[in-house]
Parts: sequence; structure tokens; C-alpha cells
Amino acid sequence: MTVLFLMIFQVVIIALAAPFFDGIARVLRARLQARKGPPDFFQTYRDIIKLYKRGRTAPKCAHWFFTYAPYFLYATGAAMLAAMPITYAGYESVGYSDIFVLVYLAALLKFVFGVASIDSGNPFAAVGGSREQMIGVFVEPVLIISLLVVMLLAGTSNLIDIKNMMYAGEIGYFMPAFAVASISFLWAMYVESGRNPYDLAEAEQELQEGLLGEYSGSDFGVAQAALMLKQFAMIGLFITIFEPFNLTMHPILSLILFLIKAGLFYVGAVFIDNFGARYKLLGGFKTNATFALGVSVVALVLYIVGA
Amino acid sequence: MTQVYLLYILGGVISILLYKKNITAAKVGFSIAAVASLYGIIHFFSNLGVTSEMTLGNDFLFNPHFVLDPVGNFFSFVICLISFAASIYAIQYSQEYAKKGSLAVMAMLFNVFIVSMLLVISAANVFWFMVFWEVMTIVSYFLICFNDSKESMKATIIYMGIAHLGGAMILAAFLLLASQSGSLDFASFANVELSAGMATAIFLLAFIGFGSKAGMFPMHVWLPKAHPAAPSNVSALMSGVMIKVAIFGIIKFCLWLPVMEWWGLLIITVGAISALLGVLYALTQHDYKALLAYHSVENIGIILLGIGTGVYGMASGSPVLAAVGFLGGMFHILNHATFKGLLFLGAGSVLYSTHTKDMEVLGGLARKMPYTAFAFLVGSMAITALPPLNGFMSEWVTYQALIQGALGEGIGPRTVFTVSVVALALTGALAVMCFVKVYAVIFGGTARDEKIFDNAREVPFSMLAGMFILVIGCFAFGLGANVVVEHIMSVVTGFTGGTFIATDGMAVKSPLGSIVSTPFISLILLGSLIMPFITLIVFKANRKAPRKVDPWACGMKYSSRMQMTAAPFTGDLRRMMNWLFKADVHYEDQGYFKPVKYSNHARDIWWDYLYVPVIKLVSVSSDKIEKMQNGNSNLYAAYILGALFFFLGISHIS
Repeated sequence: MTVLFLMIFQVVIIALAAPFFDGIARVLRARLQARKGPPDFFQTYRDIIKLYKRGRTAPKCAHWFFTYAPYFLYATGAAMLAAMPITYAGYESVGYSDIFVLVYLAALLKFVFGVASIDSGNPFAAVGGSREQMIGVFVEPVLIISLLVVMLLAGTSNLIDIKNMMYAGEIGYFMPAFAVASISFLWAMYVESGRNPYDLAEAEQELQEGLLGEYSGSDFGVAQAALMLKQFAMIGLFITIFEPFNLTMHPILSLILFLIKAGLFYVGAVFIDNFGARYKLLGGFKTNATFALGVSVVALVLYIVGA
Repeated sequence: MTQVYLLYILGGVISILLYKKNITAAKVGFSIAAVASLYGIIHFFSNLGVTSEMTLGNDFLFNPHFVLDPVGNFFSFVICLISFAASIYAIQYSQEYAKKGSLAVMAMLFNVFIVSMLLVISAANVFWFMVFWEVMTIVSYFLICFNDSKESMKATIIYMGIAHLGGAMILAAFLLLASQSGSLDFASFANVELSAGMATAIFLLAFIGFGSKAGMFPMHVWLPKAHPAAPSNVSALMSGVMIKVAIFGIIKFCLWLPVMEWWGLLIITVGAISALLGVLYALTQHDYKALLAYHSVENIGIILLGIGTGVYGMASGSPVLAAVGFLGGMFHILNHATFKGLLFLGAGSVLYSTHTKDMEVLGGLARKMPYTAFAFLVGSMAITALPPLNGFMSEWVTYQALIQGALGEGIGPRTVFTVSVVALALTGALAVMCFVKVYAVIFGGTARDEKIFDNAREVPFSMLAGMFILVIGCFAFGLGANVVVEHIMSVVTGFTGGTFIATDGMAVKSPLGSIVSTPFISLILLGSLIMPFITLIVFKANRKAPRKVDPWACGMKYSSRMQMTAAPFTGDLRRMMNWLFKADVHYEDQGYFKPVKYSNHARDIWWDYLYVPVIKLVSVSSDKIEKMQNGNSNLYAAYILGALFFFLGISHIS
């Protein structure tokens, strides 16, 4: 029960704090682009609340799946965050914090996004949905190889055990395979969080925006919050597995630390996604993915030969 | 067990007696099949751990002795479960065929088909096994013939060709084994002494023979042709359970033979290749039934990953690894039967109300057939292994088994196991893409053909009932995974040994210390689903009913022709993987005022690479041999004499 309570606690806190970091990122991005930008860090909260007050539209052709897709997306994002042992690393697993649960919850998110994008009937949304799936196909091998190396070194897929082994120094960067895997995982995490140059969450109709463009009012607000949660979940997975600094096991303090670390990644990503154009899926993206795949395979080979 | 078999036979007899009353015959015949299946489900489940026997009079042909051990009970349970749903479904679905053929014959064949599968499972000697194996093949052939078209006739011939090749190999494997043990009884196979070379030869023959029926790569070519050609209730049985009977054969042989480590690795490698290629070819299909059939190739691959790990575990003397591997494989057998049965029944419903198998002309059907759409959605989510449905749990166990295998020593096994984990994960990502396409293109969006859409309607009650039985199965085997795992473990540990307990309360755990509880996952998912609604209430959101509008088309007037279809949805992937599809791209310019015709159909290149040369060789050599058949009876007598001398010579040598 304690674990369930801590899960709810961490998800609610992160969900409440996520728009704040998004606000920081927006201010920073505006400054980098020499725009004025939002007045303070709380603009995303105001946006969402304003969206909640607006009326809604829906395509004539869509059925219930489209209507509830933002809520499904949000639920899946929140469920992914709940699987990170941020506050409850000191407890026994209750059968939820598992790497494969996370990987397949991410697949659930993609499924919902893809079905909703075709169901909307919008031609651009469907192109976006198709690209989103292709990105998944590119990222999946890199993601799973990196995670596989970690699981093999730790000898389990239980996230709580992995995190504790990391803190106890049983696995870590002294293992070459682990160190290399962390590089390829960082790439996979960045791509999965839907940032430039691989994807754009808030622009370009034939990308994620295609589906979002069909939503309005409170549905749109929930969809935006869901995409933020998903980004935090991906960053959280990196921090849970690959971040070596253990300062405290205290639930509240570790949650605050997590928020600061995840926020740093979230805001820091602005420095990458602000420069350069978006990659073409079968052009620059593919080349990049091949390179990342190479890195992850190096990690796997290092494990296989026993290094 | 005898009662179950008798009930099916009774159903077959009664339905053929009602030959004159076509529609009643179908109703009665399929209802009896449903009753028999329900009885079978209860019987085989409650007697899971019991070994039961049946003998049909000792003097009858070749000692007709039938034995069901726990493994056999498990497979019989799976067969009865899917047959139950398929028979209820068929009560009204079969009316579709009232004009095409005799429903009495269909109901009889259906009953015989089920009982022949059950008897293959329980046969206790080579003769009866092979007899019912061939009956199963031939009856399924007849059932496919109900869809009488040029295409389905071609499909059945390919099916029969490969089934015969497989049957011959299985028979060869059995006879080799029997020659070593000195008896045709299965009981004598268990303790037979074999040299390594002989064991390997038997294993390879059996693996390829049964694999051809299971649809593993590269003997999968018949499956995507034959399964879609059958009536949908039969497709559900063929894809759901008939191919599992072949897996049963592989398991049987691995239990008899002195297994070696590399056999396990071979099974895993073939499984990984089947899984990946199955899903890649599925992605390019426009015919939704062919697409589902390719997914059977994929799922057989996943099952083989589990079974292969089990075999490897037995060979390397690790009962825990063996148990977890077989658990993964057998759990996935149950799950795949459930959701693939469901998907084929769903596909049958779509076909029933739209009369087309081409998904490019469908669309928006969820508004016309909401219950079918829901059932199909559940099936799609289960087959893509999304938590908390059943597919996720069996894939999770398979992952755990593969990782445990990869933790062992040795570069070879480590490579095979780790690469298969990656293949399984990639298969998962591709399957998501594929089922997004199937579900959304058929049931979502706007109608691509108004006429078909207007005529579509929800299917009758018995068809819905058949589907929803399996929907419940998808949820139950997912949420109640601990119960299922406990029962399968009791079957598996019977032959692998070991004392590992794979459940922990409501959760399923692996020897690696990983633990997953599907009830907890669904609790969290439901809880998180409430969260956004709470915020809606807190911030007093505007929840007036949404205004219905056309989709946004950048300011242009929206037309349903703008909508995405199935082919472009996977376009990027097809372009990237064209070396595997070798698609025939066709442009036809019909002049300025008419649209350009464009078609792009992916091909299964293995047909061209592996089968076409053989077919050519056969037709060329039969042209040559034709000269022998010249109508001269003297010459024929000489052939017979020559053959007699030849066999005399052989008997003289040995």
C-alpha cells in the first residue's frame, strides 16, 4: 500500500511540475531565437487552463477512440512515470516496476497515437502517425539493446533492483558495456521525447502536430499535458537507470532531486533542438539511427565477450 | 476424454443425417460442436494433471490406443476453447454459405476437423498419429474448398503440397525412431538409446516436418494463402489451433530424443527469423485476412523462441531455464490461440457485412459495427502485447527466459539469445505499426467506399457471442495470469523437473527476480485514466459536446479521398525494406482527364527463391519422364519387373 501511495504521490507531483519546466524551456527557447517569448515560467499553466475553458470540435468521421485518445495518452504517460522507482526505491517490488512493462507501455502510447491519427480522417495527422511509428521502428532496437545490456549486467529486469545495484556500486560505469550502452540509450531517449531534429511536438502538421491539430479545448489541453508527461517518463528512465549519484533514499527529497535532474534534461534539450533543421526520416534520421545502433551493438558485443 | 470425442462425432453424424434440411443442419451441427467444446473445456481443465487412456478394442487395426498426458490435456484444452467460440460463431456465420455449398457437410467436416486434432494429440502410436494427422490436413482442405474460387483452389494445392512434404518427413522421423526402439508405440520411444547422428537426423526431420505445418520460415508460404481462403470460423481454427498441433509434435519429439544444446539454439534462430519476417510481410498486406495469417507466422516464431529456450535448458541441464522457456512457449500458445481466433472471427464479421477482403475500400466501420470494432480492438491490443492483456504476459515470460539464457556462458548461446531478444522487441514495434493500420483503416476514419459503408451493419448475435467469449479470454488470461501460469507450470515441471514457483500472489515472477502483476498494472492504468478527468473538474473545463466538423485540410475542401489508406501508412517502411519485398510497382497513365492507376504489391520473395526453382525442376523433369508413359503395355510389364528386382535387391543387401 505504501508503494501505491508513493506512486500516486510522485505521479501527481511530476504532472503538476511538468508545465513549469516546459515554461522555462519556452522562455529559454525564445531568448535563444531572439524573441520576446512568455513573460514568466508559468505560461504553460495559463495556456492549459485557458484551453480548458474553450469549446471543443471533433471530426465527423471519428469514433470514440479518437475522442478519448488524449485521456488514454495521458493515462499511459502517467502510468510510465509511476513505474519509475523514484520515491519507492527502498521498498519491495509490487510487480509493476519492470523494464518490459515500461517498454510496452511506450508501445501502448504509440498504438493510441497511431489509431487516433488515422481515425481523425485528417491526411496530415495520418502521415504524422505513420512517421511516429517509423520512428518507433528505428528507436526500438537501440532502446532495447541498451536496456538489454543493463538487464544482463544486473541479471534482472526489475527496475528497483537495478536502481539499488547501481547505488550499491554493483553495476555502473566501471563496466565498459554499461558505459557504452548509456550513450546509445541517451540517443534513444532524446528521440523518443519527440524533439528536433528527430521530431517536433508543437509544429509541422505532418508530424505530431497533425493529430494535435484536430483537437481543441480541454481535449487539446490534456493531449499537450500527455506529451509532456511522456517526455518526463523517457528522461526519468534514463535517470533511474544510468544516473549514478545517490544522495538520499528519502521519498520526498529524492522526488525533489529527480525533478531538478529531469528538469535540467528537459530544459537542456532546448540547446539541441533549437539549432539545426529537422532530419528527413529516411535521410539524416536513418543515418543517425544506424550510428546509434552501431554504438548499442558495441555495448552488446562487449557484454557477449565478457568485458 | 472419450465422451468429448463421441460428442463431436455425434455432431458430425447428426449434421450429415440432416443433409436435406440445410439450415437446420448447420444450426444443430454447430450447436453440438459448441456443447462438445464446452464439455471439453471443463473436462480437460479439471483433469489437467491426470493421465487418461482410451482403447478401441485390441483387435482393431494397429492397436488403437490413445493416451492423454498433462501436455496433451493442455493442448486439448486450447483446441476446445477456440472450437467453442468458433462453433458458436459459426451457427449464424455459416448461413453466409447456404447458397455456396451444403451446410450439413460443412458442419460435419467442422466436427470431424476438431475431433481429428484432438485425436492427433492423444494418439499413442505412430499409425494412429499419422492417420489423424492426415485426416486433419484433408478435412481442412475440404473446408477451404467452401470458398470456391480460382485463387482458393490454387491456395489449397500449395497447402496440400507442403503438407505432404511435411507429412512425409514426419513419417520418416517416426519410422527412424521406431526402427531404433523396435516398436511403433510412443511408450517405447521414451527410453530409446540413440547415437548422436541418428538423434540429430530424427530431430531435423521432425522439426522441418512439423515446422512446415506450423508455418515457420521458410515453409510459411502456404499459410498466408490457405488461411485467408477458408471460411472465417475455419480460419480461426486453422490459425488458432491447427498450427499449434504441429508445435505439440515438436515438443513431443524433444521429450523423446536426447536433446542437444544446438537444437535449442536452432529452434530459437528459426523462431526469431519467422517472427521478424512474418511481421514484415504482414505490414505490406492489403487483404486483412492474409495479414492476420502472416501474423500467425510471426507468433509461431515467438512460440518457438520459448520452446527453443526450453529445449536448450533441458540440454544444458538447467531445469529452471527449461521450465521458464516452455512456460513462455506454452503460455503464448494459449494466448495466440485466443487472440488470433478472435481476430479471425472479427475479420469474418467484417467480411460478412462488407463482402470484401481489401481494406483499402473500408473505413469508418466502428460507427456501423461498434461491438465488432471493440472486439477487434481488444484482439489487436492483445496481439501487440500491450499490457495488461494476455499477449503481454506470455511475451514477458519469453523475454525472461531469453535473458536467463543470455546470462549463461559461451559466446554462441549469448549471441543467439541476445539477438533474439532484440528481434522480439523489434517484432513488437512492427506489430504495433501493423495493427494500428489494420484497426484504424478498417474501423476508423471516413468511409472510403460509400456503398459498402451504407450496406454494412452489425453482425448477428451468435457471431458477437463467439467473439466476446474470446475477448473475455484475452482479459482473463492477462489479468489472471498467475492462475494460468500456475497451471501451465504444473504441466511443464512434470517433464522438465525443477521446483521453481513462477507465481507470487497475484503476480508472476521469473527466476531473475523480475516480477509483474497484471492486476496492479490495470489498477495503475485505470487510476491514471481518472487523473485528467479530475483536472477537468477542478478547473471547471468546458465540456459541452464537441462541434462536429470536417477534418482540417489546410483550408481546402475536405474529401474522403484525402484520407490515408493502408499502403502509404507503411510506405516509408516499404521503401526502406524494398530489398525484402521486391514490390511490383505499376503505373498506368490513362490520359490527362483520368486518374493515374498505381499499384504496388509486395511479394514474398522466398517463394521465388526457394519454391519456384523446385517447381520448375519438377515440371521440366516430368516432361522428360513423360516419354516413359507411351501406352505400350509390354513396356509397363517390364517396369513392374524392374521394380520387383530392385526391391529384391534391397532386401538382399540388408
